[in-house]
Amino acid sequence: MYLYLPVALTSINILIPVGLGLAVGLLSGLFGVGGGFLMTPLLIMCGIPSTVAAATDSNQIVAASTSGTYAHWKVGNVDFKMGLYLLAGGFIGGIVGVQAIKLLHAMGNADFVIKMTYVLMLGIVGVYMFIESLQSMKKKKSEHVEEVKEEKESTAGRFLKSLPLQTRFEKSGITHSVFVPIVLGGFVGVLAAIMGVGGGFLMVPIMVYMLRMPMHVVVGTSLFQILFTCIEVTFLQAYTNHTVDFVLAVLLLLGSTIGAQVGAVFGRKLKADQLKILLAGIVLAVTVKIVFELTLTPSLLISQAGGH
Amino acid sequence: MTTNGARNSKVPVVVLTAVLLLVLSFPLATPASAMLTASANHDHITIGFFYNGSTISIRGESDPSEELIIKITAPEEHQVLKQKGKVGGMLWMNVGTLKFERVPNFYAIHSTKKLEDLLSNEELEKYTIGYSALEKHVEVTPVANEQEKSKWFGEFVKFKEDSRVYALSSGKIETKMNEAGRQEYSIQTDWPYQAAPGDYAATVYAVKNGKVVEQTETKVKVEQVGMVKALATMAHNNAAFYGILSIGIALGAGFGVGLVFRGGGSH
Repeated sequence: MYLYLPVALTSINILIPVGLGLAVGLLSGLFGVGGGFLMTPLLIMCGIPSTVAAATDSNQIVAASTSGTYAHWKVGNVDFKMGLYLLAGGFIGGIVGVQAIKLLHAMGNADFVIKMTYVLMLGIVGVYMFIESLQSMKKKKSEHVEEVKEEKESTAGRFLKSLPLQTRFEKSGITHSVFVPIVLGGFVGVLAAIMGVGGGFLMVPIMVYMLRMPMHVVVGTSLFQILFTCIEVTFLQAYTNHTVDFVLAVLLLLGSTIGAQVGAVFGRKLKADQLKILLAGIVLAVTVKIVFELTLTPSLLISQAGGH
Repeated sequence: MTTNGARNSKVPVVVLTAVLLLVLSFPLATPASAMLTASANHDHITIGFFYNGSTISIRGESDPSEELIIKITAPEEHQVLKQKGKVGGMLWMNVGTLKFERVPNFYAIHSTKKLEDLLSNEELEKYTIGYSALEKHVEVTPVANEQEKSKWFGEFVKFKEDSRVYALSSGKIETKMNEAGRQEYSIQTDWPYQAAPGDYAATVYAVKNGKVVEQTETKVKVEQVGMVKALATMAHNNAAFYGILSIGIALGAGFGVGLVFRGGGSH
């Protein structure tokens, strides 16, 4: 059955967005990412204009991340305090990022810088996570007993400890200066604004490796803060660009809200390292896909203006 | 009343007689047989909730000796599109924008025979029939020379054909003779869902000896109705409310599904 999309001005077989929503929602509940890096290009492939695809996806993520946050919160896996500090940082970072884009556009070849940043970030994050989780999986196999190892305090660790306003994050079981999540959230915010993506794939590794939060709390907390980011983006897109397609968003969220629940349940059955290595695999696959897109001759040399 | 009406109609009768005499006095200028007619039988396409494109058919009568070309277009506009190019000799990405002036966003040509067999280039250009004629008509900026314009116009057509709003066909128009010795023509063609709401013009050209001898026009209106229209209007005129509504529904759906899963969930 086909439905007409009043803002995208095109018609779509309803099974496509519902199915896409289900798949991307599953990833969202499982890994704590919004999944925009998958959803937006897939929607464009279905004939949705790129601007509408990106804006409508953020509307859909509001639903999926609400559903996912709820599922993780029920089992105590959302660190609200940490989420709020990261959000505060992300908000400031977003403002800086938008200014940075203006500067890039004024300097010319902005698209090149943006694409390169995106590919490099995806590649570095994917490779690092993959190697790290592979090593820790091997280690656990060989040193079964010696699991709780005293971590050697590094210079970076000592520096972080010396910062003022140290506070305890109960849910995650860690202590940090409030500046740490704010600065890291700001860093992700700047990059996300420049690359035009939500930044979940950056936020998750940062929470795992830099904030040293437990993987399962990372997923829930990431979804919680993605929820707020996407509410803001959806409103701005609807208000200033008129690019949110309500009908398409509803079709997508039919699948994604359910997918997020299934993902959350499924995630509880997996070990932290398994989750990390799976996410690393997906991030690397997306990197490879983008590299192919960049190097193979495209079939159409002209496209709708306005997208990212 | 009737007497009144009869008295009032006297003046038009006089005018009509005068016009008739005038027309009859030039029998050679407009031969009765060359009257080209056209009508679209589905001239008001409504886009509702379950719209997935439509079909339109255009039919009419012409002189039996004439070939026919039907051109369906949207009004001309200005379009800005992204242009992909190679950066550093190996990476494909958006390198800038191209402006197209005086281009219709919908352009379909159907003809009884191939265009180049029907009309000379001059005639095609005069009536903007066919892609090469349209290329001459359209302005593309920035391009360095005619060769580059030609290349990018070609890419533009490829892009439009890909989204089914540009099309060329020959031989799809059906013709037959009726009892009055006139040629009846008709074409039934798919109307793509990608064609945006708006007013479209279908122009029928009668061709004889390599020249357009007559042309007539009929309109096709494509309009959003009902829910689709209400949502599209709200998205533009009531953007803040539309945004809040979209977010509200998403939040509600997320919570709703969460609650349902808790009800029948595993824990």
